[in-house]
Amino acid sequence: MRDINFQSFIDSDHSPFILFDNTSKILYLNNSAEILLGYVEKKELYDMTLQYAPQSFGVKTTTLNLNYENFSFYAITVGYECEEQIYIRFYHAPKVKQNITIDKNKLILTDINLLLEANITLFQSRYTTALKLLTDPDIPEFKIDQNKFSKLLRKSFELFAKTKEISITLKFLVGEHIIIDNKRYHIIRLSITSSDTIESNDEIATIAKECFISSLIQKNSLTLEIPLLID
Amino acid sequence: MHNFTSKSSTIQDIIKGLNLTKSLFVSSIIIGEPHTGKKALISSIFEDLPLVSAKDSDILKDAIKQYDELIITDFEHIQNIPTSLLEDKKIIATANSITNQSFIDNLFAFIYHIPPLKDRTEDIKHLGNLYIKEAKNKLMIQKEINLDDISLNLDQNTKSLQASIYKYVLKHSMDKEDLKESLYNYIYEHIDGNNAYKEFLDIYEEPLIKAGLSKYHSQLKLSSILGINRNTLRKKILEHNIDA
Repeated sequence: MRDINFQSFIDSDHSPFILFDNTSKILYLNNSAEILLGYVEKKELYDMTLQYAPQSFGVKTTTLNLNYENFSFYAITVGYECEEQIYIRFYHAPKVKQNITIDKNKLILTDINLLLEANITLFQSRYTTALKLLTDPDIPEFKIDQNKFSKLLRKSFELFAKTKEISITLKFLVGEHIIIDNKRYHIIRLSITSSDTIESNDEIATIAKECFISSLIQKNSLTLEIPLLID
Repeated sequence: MHNFTSKSSTIQDIIKGLNLTKSLFVSSIIIGEPHTGKKALISSIFEDLPLVSAKDSDILKDAIKQYDELIITDFEHIQNIPTSLLEDKKIIATANSITNQSFIDNLFAFIYHIPPLKDRTEDIKHLGNLYIKEAKNKLMIQKEINLDDISLNLDQNTKSLQASIYKYVLKHSMDKEDLKESLYNYIYEHIDGNNAYKEFLDIYEEPLIKAGLSKYHSQLKLSSILGINRNTLRKKILEHNIDA
């Protein structure tokens, strides 16, 4: 049997995969695990790996509920074949928007960068907050309720009205999907972060929900996960 | 063709925002004091949209039924229009004030605030010079007029600015015949009572002495120019309470 390079498959696997050595140093992690490490400390994951490791060499899968901000996992597999290396693999709980039917009549193909720029302009006309923007100009146009989504952006920015500086990041989430109406959609993440504390706003979650968007407001950040509705 | 011009950075941001969303189906409102240029601004960007005032609710209702995209001015006057009728429209609106914050907040994606003219120093100079040029052109005046010499009234934004400039230009361009005619009209309208001679003489005497003092800076010199006794001049200065 010829050699097969499995690493490229694991690299692009949607499930986070991390290989540790016996001193907790990461020897390898795939793209999805890289994203996960933006939300959870390495030590916490290593401790969990040891906690759920099989008693002797081999593999053990455990069903459990793990939630790290927007990540939800329903199971993990931990395995090792020698004393020096141990790996952990996470199984995503599927993101499913329950009981939502998309009314496509109100949705218009939109360049999100255009709406973002217009909202940044509005924000800058009112507030003196310094602004850093990192966006992906290649994000394709997708369908959205333009008025409602713009309102959501306005209210999102207003959370940061009193902050000194904000960073805005808009990017395509590699390997993550959302299921709406039994269809799988790619996800775009818009994050606004600041070193200053912000106040929560329940209205944002309500408007986001109406746009099929997941929102998360934390002490000094806001994240919107937007489904890339194309068809 | 609607003319709107501004050098204010805040207004340039509003123009940029409106232009970016011009082709999108989003509702925007500009809120600000009367005569800050709201209507001219949106009319210059959304030239093709029908425009109605919210002051007349019957006309407004008809326009809402007829059009999917429209400009509504005087939005603070809106009443008896169900939100559901407006939600599916693209509305570009102007309002002098916010009367129903949550209604506006719900309906509009973009809420812009246009600053009053007193806070737009770039525009005071820019618009002031434009109005001087316009006034000179309309009144066919050649004389040089400097904005810094004019006491500008910004209480009612562009309206009072324009009025103060037009008045200044007009007052500083009168010749002797114009003055006589103005005085004649004024006196004809106001002459009454039993002391009119004295009262109307003040209209002549007071500016005569004030202007003379400003020009010659000396009562002695001025009395000689006027051809009157220095004591008489002194008496008149006191009588008119002129700061000499």
